[in-house]
Amino acid sequence: MNSKEKISSQEIVDLVASKASVSKRAAEEFLKMMITTIEDALLAGESVKVKGFGTFKLQWNEPRKSVNVQTGEDIIIEGYYKVGFVPDSSLKDLVNEPFAHLEPVTLDDDGEPKIAAASESEEEIPEPLRIFTEQAFEIKNILSEINALSGDSSDDDGDVNDQDDFHYEIDTFEVDEDDEESESIDEVVEETVKPEVVETKEDEPEIVEEPKVTIVEAVAEESKIVTEEVEPLTEIKEDAVEEEITVQETPIKTDSSALESDSSAFLENVKPIKKKKHWFVPVIILVLVGIVAALYFVYPPVNEFGNETYTTVKDNVSKWLTPENKNLDEIEAVVIPKDTTEIDSVAIEPVVDSLQILFDTPRVYPEFIASATITKGSRLAWLSKKYYGLSDFWVYIYEANRDRFEDPDKIPEGSLIHIPKLDPRLIDASNPRCVENAKKLHDLYVKR
Amino acid sequence: MNHKELIASMATKMNAPKSVVESLLETTITTCKELLAEEKTIGFQGFGNFEVRKKEERLSVHPATQIRTLIPPKLVVNFKQSSILKDKLKDLPHHE
Repeated sequence: MNSKEKISSQEIVDLVASKASVSKRAAEEFLKMMITTIEDALLAGESVKVKGFGTFKLQWNEPRKSVNVQTGEDIIIEGYYKVGFVPDSSLKDLVNEPFAHLEPVTLDDDGEPKIAAASESEEEIPEPLRIFTEQAFEIKNILSEINALSGDSSDDDGDVNDQDDFHYEIDTFEVDEDDEESESIDEVVEETVKPEVVETKEDEPEIVEEPKVTIVEAVAEESKIVTEEVEPLTEIKEDAVEEEITVQETPIKTDSSALESDSSAFLENVKPIKKKKHWFVPVIILVLVGIVAALYFVYPPVNEFGNETYTTVKDNVSKWLTPENKNLDEIEAVVIPKDTTEIDSVAIEPVVDSLQILFDTPRVYPEFIASATITKGSRLAWLSKKYYGLSDFWVYIYEANRDRFEDPDKIPEGSLIHIPKLDPRLIDASNPRCVENAKKLHDLYVKR
Repeated sequence: MNHKELIASMATKMNAPKSVVESLLETTITTCKELLAEEKTIGFQGFGNFEVRKKEERLSVHPATQIRTLIPPKLVVNFKQSSILKDKLKDLPHHE
């Protein structure tokens, strides 16, 4: 960048003359006049505001003491005025364009960006429309976290404790959902819902099975009485489930304040389900047509997912039945959340909104609105900011050009980038889900 | 003195219609902006230099909450008065 290059008054005069198609003399006279007028106004103590450019103002510098470098004597620098210039916001933005896509990042104690952490943990409570899919994502996240935990920790105490926490959370979560389902299922006797209700019920025995086992194990350390009950229970699971859960519920909640806060966070997340179901009734009529389409799209993946989980559950259960397994906790931890995801995805099915479909369907980029050449200092995020209004959507540009560039961080200078035409719903900067989806993709591509 | 007053004052000094002055001023400003956007330095003889400076990224700590925030780098326009203008301003008495 030619930051050293200086444009003199004469060059400005030439440029203005050619642009305004006036003689150079007229332009020169005009510029001189402009400067003297501004100067005069400043000398008169006024501030001068030039629209679209900035404000000139006099600033008073207080007299201050200094030292003569050569003699070492103290000298006093007199107070003086200087001309300050505050650029107009439009000029500011224009000049700062190469860095416009950068935003301040809040750092937590480890120096890790908080944004990444936030996407993994519980998120803000969203509107009814978004709640189901969000929950599914959250649970998937938790699942992957637990997977990671069980991966690197077999007998580590700290990690085991962590997992216990997870068990509690999940337990309360499940308990609540069970209660809710039994109540709300009765309420929602809509024709369209019927098949789903049946499905959920089919899943229920499984769901119920696993939590009980975990509860048993988690609590084993604290209440020995329960453990005794537990051992035989493994075979009579189904019958004893409900009593078990109710028994467990109280100790869990009084356990520790930390746990309570955790579970309350979960409960909060669960609440919207209730709302959802109320909201469900009127909306069904409106969205019925959309649902048919949604079902068509979403059924295959969901079915696959369900089957997959089912087999893993089976595997794990059979492993569990063999006594040599020491990592019981881990296996359970893996199994339980999977079940919950299954419930959720089953419940979501009828109401998956069009946006989620949009996110899930693989994007194709048949049309391009523009193409840009990568110059030094420009990035995909910058292009995204320019064309889509938000830098986070750079992932879509990358997807469209992926066949030619492996690493989004290392696109050679001078490369031609095609800017794909995108569904406006996908790049709605005001919709937090769009941003979130883009950020997920970002994590995906940047990690690789 | 705002934009309109500046145009009016210049128009009377130059004996030119305001519309002409306005369009010329507009052209001048857009020219300057374009040059600055290319990160070039503009020098006005006897007035001062407009220059684009890069502010490096920095870590700011909120004094009360201790939240650390990484402020990204940015480019800003800086104006430095010429020594001629500075001398003119020297004679100005301090009144405040």
